[in-house]
Amino acid sequence: MDIYRITKEPIDVASALVAIGDDRAGAQALFLGTVRNEFAGRASRGLYYDAYEPLAEKELRRIGDELKQDFGALHVVLIHRIGELPLGEVSVLVAVSAGHRTEAFAAAREGIDRIKSRVPIWKKEHWDDGQDAWHDDPEAFSPK
Amino acid sequence: MNSNTVTVTTLFFSFAADRMNGRRKTFDLPRGTTLGDMVHQYLEPVLGPESRNWLYSVNEEWASWDTHLENGDEIAVIPPVSGG
Repeated sequence: MDIYRITKEPIDVASALVAIGDDRAGAQALFLGTVRNEFAGRASRGLYYDAYEPLAEKELRRIGDELKQDFGALHVVLIHRIGELPLGEVSVLVAVSAGHRTEAFAAAREGIDRIKSRVPIWKKEHWDDGQDAWHDDPEAFSPK
Repeated sequence: MNSNTVTVTTLFFSFAADRMNGRRKTFDLPRGTTLGDMVHQYLEPVLGPESRNWLYSVNEEWASWDTHLENGDEIAVIPPVSGG
């Protein structure tokens, strides 16, 4: 089965792998995005994620349909967590099953790339020094 | 409001919400206003010229500049995304 979801709850990796199980699959590929302790060399203590949930879930579903069309993925799970996430937490999961590893790897790679480029989700960096900044805010990230 | 006016709700996210001082605003617009007119007249002065290059949705679907706004429409302003 497929799952396309924006959630405030921790992402359950095991149930995503159950969802993509299929006797026709010779491969499952799993990508997890996790909260890192720095961005561009500046220490960070966590991230806040916001989303326009109805359109984000529609766009996740469209990406899943594309992964089936373009790479022959059999099942797709795309889940993005929102809200406050401390370091190390899983923010995004891409899981795909396919006949062979080449298609599975390609679909997973393309899945996360398309999520990052198209899905209406935004992250705010909580810098370790106590300041905050939305990513891609031209005022926050412009050179001093 | 009269029949020559439509009322739309607009949603803001990320740094666009910070600049608008809120995540949701309503606007009364002359009937026949397009999404492009609305962005140009009401949002660009606050969000800056770069907002012309952002994406927008109407009623939870991507929308083009020439979309005519109707009473009750929900517009979302989508600044550059940064999920992942």
